[in-house]
Amino acid sequence: MDILLYLVIIVAGGFIGYRRMLKPSILNRLDFFQSGALLLLLFIMGVNIGLDETVIASFATIGLQAVVLAGFSIIFSVIGVKMVSAHILHRKGDSR
Amino acid sequence: MTIAIFIAVALGIGAGILVIPPTIIPHMGSLITFGLCLLLFFVGIDVGRQGDLLKKIREMGFRILLVPFMVALGSVLGTMAGGLLLHIPWYQAGAVGAGFGWYSFSAIELSKHSAQLGTLAFITNISREVMALVSIPFVARYIGKLESIAPAGATSMDVTLPIISRSTDGNVAIIAFITGVVLTAIVPVLVPFLMTFG
Repeated sequence: MDILLYLVIIVAGGFIGYRRMLKPSILNRLDFFQSGALLLLLFIMGVNIGLDETVIASFATIGLQAVVLAGFSIIFSVIGVKMVSAHILHRKGDSR
Repeated sequence: MTIAIFIAVALGIGAGILVIPPTIIPHMGSLITFGLCLLLFFVGIDVGRQGDLLKKIREMGFRILLVPFMVALGSVLGTMAGGLLLHIPWYQAGAVGAGFGWYSFSAIELSKHSAQLGTLAFITNISREVMALVSIPFVARYIGKLESIAPAGATSMDVTLPIISRSTDGNVAIIAFITGVVLTAIVPVLVPFLMTFG
């Protein structure tokens, strides 16, 4: 259900942005609200973490897992692009 | 902004430990969903403002969309493989990887499921961004210019774009930007989708 909601909202935002329905002065103010909304959300996420004693206790373990996952995602992504790069750049005939 | 992000999270953790009563937990989910909707609306506007993106893609050939596709596939399969080693359920590991370095969205969305998973997504995706900043010049030099977009994931449209641009050339920088936009649009769908397997 959330997926559909997110999709509708991002498309609605995209439509408004594409059609330039907002003036630059409003857009500048939106940047401020965007940062504010993001910081508030991250604060709430922090509260969620702080309320969970097991997370606080296993912070070091989670940190180690995170580094492993990040490393794997980067290595696999690079391999993935490597598999198609010759096809993309060969047709374009430059950039390499 | 980076410092502000860390301060916001640290203050939240402090408030969670010291001030806020655990009875508030059941109400957190809907509050987070509302906040995320607001955030996504703004991101949508930002993406829409890049009006001629479709024209740029048409000029360069639709095959350049293979780059975001392979980055997405590699990120999700990579974290699933890493999750296998760490004994993390495949769909949770995949959902963490589907953040593509966009730590704010993936971490906040996954913190609705558990604080532990949200924390893992937050640190994983921040680590990815930091590793990307360090590895992009290396990948560009020794593996390939187009491949240097891969570590960046969704951040290739903003944070890491200047480094990709400096390490490669104008054409690759445009592909990097398009890759970042496409991946950013995929994250809000793919992260909750993978969690439906739980």
